[in-house]
Amino acid sequence: MDPLIVTQAINLVYAVSTLAVLALGLAVIFGLLGVLNIAHGEFIMIGAYCAYVTQSGHWPYLAAVPLTLIVCGILGWAVEWIMIRPLYRRPFDTLVATWGLSLLLRKIAEAIFGLGFYSVNIPLPGTVHFLDTEYPIYRLLLIAVSLLIVVGLVIWYGGSRTGSRIRAMVSNPDLAQAQGISVRRLAAGTFIVGTCLAGLGGVMLAPLIPVQPFMGLDYVLRAFFVLIVGGLGSVSGLLSGAAVIGGVDSIISATSSATDGYFAVLVLSILFLWLRPRGIVARS
Amino acid sequence: MIAARLAFEALTGGYGTTTIVRDLTGAANSGEVLCVLGRNGVGKSTLMKLLFGYLPCRRGQVLFDGKPVSQLDPSARRRSGMTYCPQERPVFDDLSVRDNLTLMRASRQLGAFRRYFDRFPILERRLTQHAGTLSGGEKKMLSFVRGLAEDQPIILLDEPSEGVQWENILHMIATISEKKAAGAAFVVVEQNLSFAERIADRYLIMDQGRAVLEGSSSVIDRGQILAHLHV
Amino acid sequence: MRAASLIVIVAVALPFLLGPFWAYQLGLYALYAAAAVGVGLCWGHAGFLPLGQGLFFGLAAYLSGLTFIAFADLPIIAVLAMPIFAVASALLAYAIGVLVFRRRGESGPYFSMITLALSLLAFQIATSWNSVTGGFNGLKGIPGLPGLNDFSDVYYVSAAMLLAVLAIAGWLYTAPVGVLWRALAQNERRVQLFGFDTNQLKAVAFGVSGLMAGIGGVVYAPQQGIVTPQAVGFGVSADLVIWTAVGGRANLLGPVIGTLLVGSLTAQLRDTLPFWEVLMAIFFIVIVLAFPRGIVGLADPLASFLKGRRKQAHVAAPKRLSSDQPARLVLNGVGVRAGEFTILDRLSLDFDPTGIFCVIGPNGAGKTSMFNAVSGELATVTGSIDLGDASVSGLTPHRVTRLGVARKLQIPSVFQHLSIADNLAIALWSGRARKLQLLDPRLRRWTTPMLEDLQKRYPFLASVERKAGELSHGEQQILELAMALLTEPRVLLLDEPCAGLSPEETTAVIGIVRWAAQRLGGAIIVIEHDMSLVKELAEVVYVLHNGTLLAKGSVAAIQADAAVRAVYVGGEK
Repeated sequence: MDPLIVTQAINLVYAVSTLAVLALGLAVIFGLLGVLNIAHGEFIMIGAYCAYVTQSGHWPYLAAVPLTLIVCGILGWAVEWIMIRPLYRRPFDTLVATWGLSLLLRKIAEAIFGLGFYSVNIPLPGTVHFLDTEYPIYRLLLIAVSLLIVVGLVIWYGGSRTGSRIRAMVSNPDLAQAQGISVRRLAAGTFIVGTCLAGLGGVMLAPLIPVQPFMGLDYVLRAFFVLIVGGLGSVSGLLSGAAVIGGVDSIISATSSATDGYFAVLVLSILFLWLRPRGIVARS
Repeated sequence: MIAARLAFEALTGGYGTTTIVRDLTGAANSGEVLCVLGRNGVGKSTLMKLLFGYLPCRRGQVLFDGKPVSQLDPSARRRSGMTYCPQERPVFDDLSVRDNLTLMRASRQLGAFRRYFDRFPILERRLTQHAGTLSGGEKKMLSFVRGLAEDQPIILLDEPSEGVQWENILHMIATISEKKAAGAAFVVVEQNLSFAERIADRYLIMDQGRAVLEGSSSVIDRGQILAHLHV
Repeated sequence: MRAASLIVIVAVALPFLLGPFWAYQLGLYALYAAAAVGVGLCWGHAGFLPLGQGLFFGLAAYLSGLTFIAFADLPIIAVLAMPIFAVASALLAYAIGVLVFRRRGESGPYFSMITLALSLLAFQIATSWNSVTGGFNGLKGIPGLPGLNDFSDVYYVSAAMLLAVLAIAGWLYTAPVGVLWRALAQNERRVQLFGFDTNQLKAVAFGVSGLMAGIGGVVYAPQQGIVTPQAVGFGVSADLVIWTAVGGRANLLGPVIGTLLVGSLTAQLRDTLPFWEVLMAIFFIVIVLAFPRGIVGLADPLASFLKGRRKQAHVAAPKRLSSDQPARLVLNGVGVRAGEFTILDRLSLDFDPTGIFCVIGPNGAGKTSMFNAVSGELATVTGSIDLGDASVSGLTPHRVTRLGVARKLQIPSVFQHLSIADNLAIALWSGRARKLQLLDPRLRRWTTPMLEDLQKRYPFLASVERKAGELSHGEQQILELAMALLTEPRVLLLDEPCAGLSPEETTAVIGIVRWAAQRLGGAIIVIEHDMSLVKELAEVVYVLHNGTLLAKGSVAAIQADAAVRAVYVGGEK
């Protein structure tokens, strides 16, 4: 097979699988709790900066993972407590609050690290011979890790007790309370899972993009488009949304330009919003 | 004089600015069923929501073994010994029958449900199905079994027999009688008079949010009740 | 007028008070302030948050800049083009609003994210389209406005633009359209049920905000001499939102104060205080969560001084636009489903054109769902609904209302933050005001003989100052009932009008319903549980059960019906 086509194909898989992971955190919070966390991109940014800090401290790259989990976990817990919990019944105010939070997190990053770009070294540099072509090892690793995370989370959510309790809480909160589920704690935990997933995405992505305070904006928008197109509330929706958005962006960016790719994605999302507001996999 | 297991005094409340329940007083003692009757819209379900903490009491209080429970939210009331089977949306449609039964139990084992499955075999047959595919009556049976298997001292049932076939209603009556003998206190809202008659020790008949007739079942006769239920 | 004169005086005097440097700064920030007023209109009045106003500001700026460069020898053409570009921004905003506000249900988050995305896209285009926009470094060398010499002149042009924008906003806020915006921010569904197309109202609000941003942008280009992608991107969009919030988003002057104070302060302090930006972000969050009225909220006493008081003469409202004649409401085999559940099961109902009818039935029988299907809020899968000759099935709620159907909802749904007078005015505009009339502030003084009668019966309905939210529960029920009656509908749907009322209040409502039946001559359909009420009011009773009609007849006939008895009392199999 033509190595160029193989490379493009793997690029496509890479784009879709990483997009799925990056959207997962937003999907968890928006799909399950009904909260649009505009600061989702900033949690990704935090993950990326954690990777940078790990590198500066000369620790092994994997140390960025627990660091991110701690930072995003604590921050997620604080945000849910102060900002989200009082506003569950006021979706518009939650929107404004998370926008304000995204602003604050960006400004803090700016104050600590400055406006400049940072570069994180790829932990597994080099390429490997894969399917008739030379492809960067790290990207292949990311594909594998992304699929692992998505599949693992899905299996856990469907099969575990906590997963069942979350599903119960989401579909019938009154009955969940009647059976003794502390909806407040479970909702807080779900929010924290969402922010930690975002942070992990940032750690994974950091070696491949410039790390700067405004990096999160692109990702929260892309994740949001995935949810518009794919629909909230189901994994197949998330994956189909990631496939469509990631696919369109990837192909058009490769053949035309990044701006055109972005434009195509935006137009597509507005069309979906207009014609099929529940997304590809509409949930009743 | 032992305090009633569950008591409510001068209970007044409703949704938002609307007051639905006005000045209700009653009690359920250990081993007794308090049956709440009345036409639609009189406030029976609102009473249950006030008892279980879904709605705040504008006035009055709810007492559990003589102690007020007003600060407890529904999940806390559940943990302190109250069971609630709601009238609407009684089961988790997205979870399997098995998950519905074992969601908050220590394990997924079904040993404790043996005697319930003997009475309601259909539930055992449908263990792996999503509860959303059950008929209305089957959902009520599932909710009933889940609630009684919690083995709590106070059990609140809101229209447990809605949509349930008469032979299964007889099973429910038998189960409730056994629980009563073991000391549980029940508050049961019902529309079905034949069912209510067979389990009630005390009646509380409501109209326009107030109590219009109350007393022991040995004293109140069918005719009096019907007069208040009729359209 | 007191307030307006004060503002103009201050605006004229500022350069003399503050000197040329500040005049220049304020000249720039006045343009941003114009855009911020637009943000305040959308956010503080119409209830949605635009996160990408830079798109319109910057687009207008680029267009203006390009024209000034192209016609450097004949600047008059560029000057004439300026209003055209501002209007172009408005039309673009309106088009986006129409596209995005089509969702049924919560469209707020989607709208905000789309506007954010558009402004980022505009930034990308501005940065990469080098040949036209000058790329990252921007469009340079834009000639200034002809005939202006020093900093003060520049200031006066900006101040004039800002005053024009404020005049537009001030007018719209007092016009019926402004009242409707504030109403739909509180309860959009209710506004639709009064016959107004809320999607279009929101799109118009967004269009006006685009115009305001455009006005700022077209002057920005010749004034600054350069337009960079920053003018169209995220930074300016975010700043506009922050300044509006801090100044006070619901107030006319709030966004201006926020922009002028905070914006210019930030420009000064940004370099000297490293954590200034972090502080601003925290300040923003605190204000949004705890002090939604912003800086202006602190100046409340001053605001009431400026408002002044004027005795308003009333104006007789015109007749309804659509037909008055009583009509027969017929449901034919109507089916409604929600996923697996059948809510209405081939329901057929036939209501006479005049009279009072009651619909009863156990919980879940489908009574409110039947009302929702009639008013167009529930899609019917099978069957049809006709009102007289017109078919009603498939129409959107606001169109159904215009045909002469009014509703009083189960939970009192008056507009809590609007005055009683505004609530009643909205009811009067329903079905009577043509779209363009909504721009006329005189409509707020409309009255009808029916309103005057109701105000005689219930004096609290004549109060001008009190907000609807201050009324007791019973008074809110009566207010909402009055609002439904004022639309003079052919079919009035009342959903549990006496829920939660005391016996005295219930008697009062029964009285109004009877009086209304006489006055309006149409059909009044009441959902009720309380049988004593049904006995008092109903000429015919319809009993629903499991989504279908179980029985129909007089109260006595229903009471004697064995099937009805069984449903209400239950029995053995």
